[in-house]
Amino acid sequence: MTQPTVIKSKDLTKKYSGLLAVDSVDFSVYQGECFGVLGPNGAGKTSIMKMVCCVSPVTSGDLWVQGKNVMHDQRAVKTTLGVVSQADSLDPDLNVMQNLLAYGRFFNLPRKQASERAWAALDLFQLHDKAFQAPDKLSGGMRRRLMIGRALLHEPTILVLDEPTTGLDPQSRHLVWDRLRRLKDQGITILLTTHYMDEAAYLCDRLMVMDLGKILAEGPPEKLVREFAGEQVVEVRLPPWQRVSLVEDLQNRELDFEEVGDVVLVFGEVGRLSAAESAWEGYQVIRRPANLEDVFLRLTGRGLRD
Amino acid sequence: MATVADALRTTIIWRGFRVWQRNRDAMIRGWKVEFGGMIVEPFVILAALGFGLGAYVGDIGDLTYAEYIAPGFIAGYAMFHSTLDSTYGAYLRMESHHVYEAMLFTPIHPADIVVGEVMWGATRAMFSGAVVLAVASAFGLVNSPLAILAIPCAYLIGLTMSSMAMILTATATTIGAMNNFYTLFVLPMFYVSGVFFPLDHLPESVRALSWVLPLTPAAALTRGLVTGNTSWFMVLWALELLAFAAVSLLVASYFMRRRLVK
Repeated sequence: MTQPTVIKSKDLTKKYSGLLAVDSVDFSVYQGECFGVLGPNGAGKTSIMKMVCCVSPVTSGDLWVQGKNVMHDQRAVKTTLGVVSQADSLDPDLNVMQNLLAYGRFFNLPRKQASERAWAALDLFQLHDKAFQAPDKLSGGMRRRLMIGRALLHEPTILVLDEPTTGLDPQSRHLVWDRLRRLKDQGITILLTTHYMDEAAYLCDRLMVMDLGKILAEGPPEKLVREFAGEQVVEVRLPPWQRVSLVEDLQNRELDFEEVGDVVLVFGEVGRLSAAESAWEGYQVIRRPANLEDVFLRLTGRGLRD
Repeated sequence: MATVADALRTTIIWRGFRVWQRNRDAMIRGWKVEFGGMIVEPFVILAALGFGLGAYVGDIGDLTYAEYIAPGFIAGYAMFHSTLDSTYGAYLRMESHHVYEAMLFTPIHPADIVVGEVMWGATRAMFSGAVVLAVASAFGLVNSPLAILAIPCAYLIGLTMSSMAMILTATATTIGAMNNFYTLFVLPMFYVSGVFFPLDHLPESVRALSWVLPLTPAAALTRGLVTGNTSWFMVLWALELLAFAAVSLLVASYFMRRRLVK
């Protein structure tokens, strides 16, 4: 990668009263890329985001944004970032336009410029007609788009998104994705957390999978899929009492597999899977290309979190 | 000039002003809800207590009872309106509406938020003080041109009370905690701070205590301005209010930072 580094961490650690949320993590985000942080609940994704945004102090280690230390140069860091937090934080006491203008003032934008950019943001996110409505009257998708538009008002070089499409319907998600890709094409760097694998696959140039505060794997999505899930996946659906014999069979054939719910996932090269077909003959089977979801399940296991 | 403006933009006062602007916009958007009560209530209270009760109480010194309590109510209203906004209002903005959370993702820091909220509380105090002053003069209870200074004085009272209220807001774990502030602090203070009657006949200990509460110097200072009976003590009282404000502001900023940045 020849692009300059815009976010860099070294031994980044976060502890909350005894709980180790982020455990000595090193990562870099390069200019102009979309970098994804994936992981189940409690993986440390949001803690990393908060430290990047200077709203949570670093316990130990170092974290730089555009070469500035987040513990020493907070206002400078915050000025380069546009942040869309997980929780909806639109101001219910102000209308849509006032929400944008108030934000512009926090960044000391001149009034005329703030107003021009606010209208441009409303146009970009298809909210032009809603300018003088209360945010409470907007749908979930609109509110999320408005949050992103608000985060872009001061023209940040890095956009930080914490689960940007959680709770949105498919149409809204695609609209958000489309706009994020457009922004990336314009050169903005995106740091994104998500637990939607399709979102990560669609948007991210590189990503890291985290669990329990540590990085489990890091790289471009295709590379992670090849490395951890192989070429293809066979999903075998079968009742639990029949599983034992299948599992034994798979172990004898030295195939990689994972049990998830009532499904057994078998990973491998096309040729190897074809050669082993007799193992799951007679069961309900889906054969498909491997994807990020497989990587995620293989790396973080199948136990339920929270 | 550009450099002065640029320098101003790097100060906490300026960033607080940005927070203040947000509250002003919200207030203007919903002004109809609050405006009626702000005007009507002082009329009712001054009429009922000043003239109704006052007819039985008689004069206090060379002031009629209505003339005596009018400045007390300017100070009292300044206190109530600033504390209400800086307790319940600020707590809602912080906890329910996530307004502070959004601000923290901008160059605004917790101390800036506290300063902005206090400036806003003081502004509300100034407005309600001005309304009571206008009502009092409509009743013919204002005799000195110095009374106009009761308006900036109400701002000062607001600074003090909002700063203290923000300590509570920054440390409260539930909105119910605000109630204690009123039942244990604000309301008792309202009755022993020389708003309704001079403190001369109170027990010595209560009187002494009363002077280290902010409303007593606030009411005395306002009364001096509205009646024109000035004294050098007024400077001392103003300084006392400023000192309360400064210390509370520092404490509130400390707790707000601890609460918001974890």
